[in-house]
Amino acid sequence: MTSPAASISSREAGTVARRPGAGVVLGEPDMWAFVLFECLIFASYFIIYMLYRMADPELFLRSQEHLSQDLGVANTLIMLTSSWLMARCVQAAREKKFEIASRQVVLTLTCGVAFVALKVTEWSMKLREGLGFSTNEFFWFYYFLTGIHVLHVLIGFVVLAVVVHQLRSPERRSQEIVETGATYWHMVDFLWVMIFALVYVMR
Amino acid sequence: MSAAVADHTRARPSGFLGRIAWHWRHDPKIELWICWWVMVSFYQLFGIVFVLMTRVMPPPRPDWDQARIVQWFSDNHTGLLVGFGIIFLVAGMTASSNAIIGYSMRRMSVSRAFAYSYIAIYSLSAIPGMLFAGILLSVGAMRPDRDPRLLAWLYDAGFLTFVGTMGVFLIGTLVWMIAILIDKNRVFPRWFGYLNICNLLTEFVVAPCWIMKTGAFAWNGSIAFWVDTGVFVVYTTAFIVLLRRMVIREDFGDGPLPDPS
Repeated sequence: MTSPAASISSREAGTVARRPGAGVVLGEPDMWAFVLFECLIFASYFIIYMLYRMADPELFLRSQEHLSQDLGVANTLIMLTSSWLMARCVQAAREKKFEIASRQVVLTLTCGVAFVALKVTEWSMKLREGLGFSTNEFFWFYYFLTGIHVLHVLIGFVVLAVVVHQLRSPERRSQEIVETGATYWHMVDFLWVMIFALVYVMR
Repeated sequence: MSAAVADHTRARPSGFLGRIAWHWRHDPKIELWICWWVMVSFYQLFGIVFVLMTRVMPPPRPDWDQARIVQWFSDNHTGLLVGFGIIFLVAGMTASSNAIIGYSMRRMSVSRAFAYSYIAIYSLSAIPGMLFAGILLSVGAMRPDRDPRLLAWLYDAGFLTFVGTMGVFLIGTLVWMIAILIDKNRVFPRWFGYLNICNLLTEFVVAPCWIMKTGAFAWNGSIAFWVDTGVFVVYTTAFIVLLRRMVIREDFGDGPLPDPS
């Protein structure tokens, strides 16, 4: 760690030393605070979804049958793979294999693009079948939850781009930034698994 | 400024009025404190007017028929007129909020363009986000005996502009977020930069209120209004506290802000 640690600017090193919670969690503690708050917001969405579902379980079950389980599973596999690649990136960065780490982030990013492409394809299929946002209460939540998740994936692209930018230059390299990016991406993965379970799978 | 800083070291008199007079004459941060207090006062007034006086928050139902809308204007006639009268009188106080947030960005190690963009965007945002709603609903309240179809139009337009135009705030929030995350002067903690993401995403969440009349995504819905308002309250409380902390830490230099002593 000597080389990358030495390469962190003094400002950054000073900040890390002073930041409360640093060393207790992986990456920036600030990112964990964000992740916890985001999970709280999504928990409120899920609770509201469940309340609507409980009010009309028949409608939700009938509507759910219009979703493609295969596409949902494919999206989940892509997301889990991307998370695994990101975990490998963190490990490679720890072992100072920055070339490999950089490649893993690019692969993670590629999985993210594939995820978004598949999601857009799925939306366009549903729209062609006449199942839009205002079709019924189930589709409100289907488009909203998957849409807000895709927005998180798009923000994740920026986060991953920052990680690649950091990894590519010895002057900028910071294990903390890599782990912070990984924390964000794992949150995106975690939220998708919850959405998949609630919207596609739960009967 | 050095004279002002030297003045700052003079002994402060005891007594409430004496302390205020001393701060007014000698405190080099007096302008920042005025901005901060005006911002806090504005948000208090905003809450009192929109929640208690005009009953615009929480918003009434978007699916009411014309008779019920006429009834709503009639029930809230005085509250709407007096409440929005106050808002039109004090709307300029938002300039203090924009000023101190713009100042926070000028204190960062980032381009001045961030502060200028933020101030321009947020100054414009008050028009659709607050003033249009006030004007439309005041016009409705002024003559509750107007044609019910016109009152229904004013009601829809008033609430759609109030709840549904949050997108104009989005870019401003994005500008502040980027400034915080790339700043090297540690003006704000990074968690607050990330919290901006939560706030800007709420601007997307309200978008469906333009097409939904009932349910979670209508303008009074559990997601489009309640969850979003919860996030906004947390976000606003956080930045009010952090701006106060920034003023306390301000040393009028151009390097990293010192930690509070």
